[in-house]
Amino acid sequence: MATTQQYYYDNVVKQLVLFSVFWAVVAMAVGVYISAELIWPTIDFGQPWLSFGRLRPLHTNGIIFGFGVSALMATAFYSVQRTSHVPLFAPRLAWFICYAWQLLILLGGLSLLAGWTSSKEYAELEWPFDIAIAILWVSFGIIFFCTIARRKIKPIYISNWFYGALIIVIAMLHIVNSLAIPVSLNKSYSIYAGAQDAIVQWWYGHNAVGFLLTGGFLGMMYYFLPKHSGRPIWSYKLSVVAFWAFTYSYIWAGPHHLHYSAIPEWVQSLAVVMSLILLAPSWATMVNGVMTVSGAWEKLKTDPALKFIVLSLAFYGLATFEGPMMSIRAVNVVSHFTDWTVGHVHSGALGWNAMITYGTFYFLIPRLVGAELYSVRMANAHFWLALGGTMLYIISMWAAGVSQGLLWLSVDETGELSYSFNDIMASMAPYYALRLVAGLVFLLGTVLMAWNFYMTIKGRETVKMQPPPLDPVYGVATGGATRPAAGAAPGIAAGVTS
Amino acid sequence: MINTITSLQLLRSVFNPQEIFSGLAGTEPAPGRILLRYTLWLLLLPPLFSLIGGYTFGWRLGAAQPLMFPVGTLLLISVAYFIVLVFGFVSTAIISRWMASTYGASDALGLHFALVGIVGEPLALASVAHLFPDVFFNVLVMIPAMIWSMYLLYTGIPVVLGIPPERGMLMASSLVGWLLVAAVSLLGLTMGLWVAGVGPALAV
Repeated sequence: MATTQQYYYDNVVKQLVLFSVFWAVVAMAVGVYISAELIWPTIDFGQPWLSFGRLRPLHTNGIIFGFGVSALMATAFYSVQRTSHVPLFAPRLAWFICYAWQLLILLGGLSLLAGWTSSKEYAELEWPFDIAIAILWVSFGIIFFCTIARRKIKPIYISNWFYGALIIVIAMLHIVNSLAIPVSLNKSYSIYAGAQDAIVQWWYGHNAVGFLLTGGFLGMMYYFLPKHSGRPIWSYKLSVVAFWAFTYSYIWAGPHHLHYSAIPEWVQSLAVVMSLILLAPSWATMVNGVMTVSGAWEKLKTDPALKFIVLSLAFYGLATFEGPMMSIRAVNVVSHFTDWTVGHVHSGALGWNAMITYGTFYFLIPRLVGAELYSVRMANAHFWLALGGTMLYIISMWAAGVSQGLLWLSVDETGELSYSFNDIMASMAPYYALRLVAGLVFLLGTVLMAWNFYMTIKGRETVKMQPPPLDPVYGVATGGATRPAAGAAPGIAAGVTS
Repeated sequence: MINTITSLQLLRSVFNPQEIFSGLAGTEPAPGRILLRYTLWLLLLPPLFSLIGGYTFGWRLGAAQPLMFPVGTLLLISVAYFIVLVFGFVSTAIISRWMASTYGASDALGLHFALVGIVGEPLALASVAHLFPDVFFNVLVMIPAMIWSMYLLYTGIPVVLGIPPERGMLMASSLVGWLLVAAVSLLGLTMGLWVAGVGPALAV
């Protein structure tokens, strides 16, 4: 039973949020730099470590594992305490993970610059880092699940199901995909070969998108959206159904990255079918989010954070529609390998992941330090910069991608290809210039946010918050009530009372 | 109070939207009348410009030689373009009306037709860029038009449909979600038609 001496461990949450913002600025700046390299290739100055091939994985790993995972750890630690009404399990281990993860990102990033790579997309880090990731990830799971195991509330709130799926599935994907035979400190060879290697890699790659960039961030949404809007989830049942449908169907979809390749055709077809089915739970979740926030419109007057969350749901709807559509062979044959794919990834990464995280951070930071946000005006400016940057990015990559797909496949009356690859790529410079502007605009907004947070927390300590002594709806001491009170979804307990 | 909008008002709405939005608020124009008399010709502009531009200059996608098509193919593409635009216009208006109950907005279908017509107008007018179908040139022209359309959407919904600006913001964002999906569907549909043999000859 909670005592009055117990406090939530929020210092580690604040630290992880700050690391996440730091990596956002660094990794987005690297993204801007490599987008400039595609226009002016000589700005690598002949240095291998500045080449596109080395900076690109630094950009993707920095965003996914630096910005994304730090944000997910921060929000998981924050929300699991409040939805379980107990302080974090093993806080020292949490501090260790917090700093060890950042060290791993730093050293891993340097190793990528040095040319160490497994050459597997989103899993480029070599075997010593893979082992470290596995250890830290399992430790993350121990803290999370042990906190849940000690909970004072019987139901496990839906956000914890998503965070739990993130932890379990990413551990499974990472360990299986990274199995390799080391030949030196900086080189290993995958135990898989040929088509099997490709299938395992995209089983990992697509589900890293699914369970980390989608599932993990849905966990964030399911806790912070109701909390922020002061309303329970619109339909708690729908959220549970969507969770299981999402978990079941996502895991099959990876081979749609391998259309028209050497893998069996039935595997490709199965991936298309599962990708299309995936639209249902994805949009169910979007509708649930939109309907939850729809009743909290008054808050938009004063709250810049809610705008980010509202818009992130629109981009979530776009990205989760576009993905299944691009898995259809008739579309994929044109879109694959083009910049349309890059645009699709960024509609999710900028429009969904970054915006839901920004909205959550604008909610969290003032509460963590017990102060008003330094500048609401600056946050509003950030919103429009983020929206403008994302739209410009998507549109420029749509136009570039469709042009590339069309030109690459165009044939003349004799059946010969009409255009050379080099000529087509050389003609893409104007689109890349637009994309560079888009990236700069988005990065500027992120820098404004970082400054806003710095000024908000400057000289302030983390507020100490206690778990409520007894949960009013689900407390175990109430006689083991396990069902919601009439008209009350579990979201009420998690979203409002704590 | 007015019960419909004229073509002239529709044009003026691009540059002086607030006056037209205020005039529309609380009215119940007939949806069929809005579609057939005032917005259909706007929807005709992009396919028409595309046809003329494609025939005269060919599609210029950045590579050295433009893609030239027979008139029959261009006509087929323009007809498909027109059908998709009409479908997009009507479906967006219907979806807007469907969303209205959630946000406490007016559910007069004609108002949603008029609103979507006004919002889409900058894009329809900017499609004059299709007369020179260079993709990058068109992107440059359409982006400011799209920004203006989004401005009209966000500022128009609360006034025309009679809801507070904050609720309007939520409804407009939901519609933006739908419009983004519609735009990407248009891309996907186009790819499907190309692969099926309608349009450019592709090695698929």
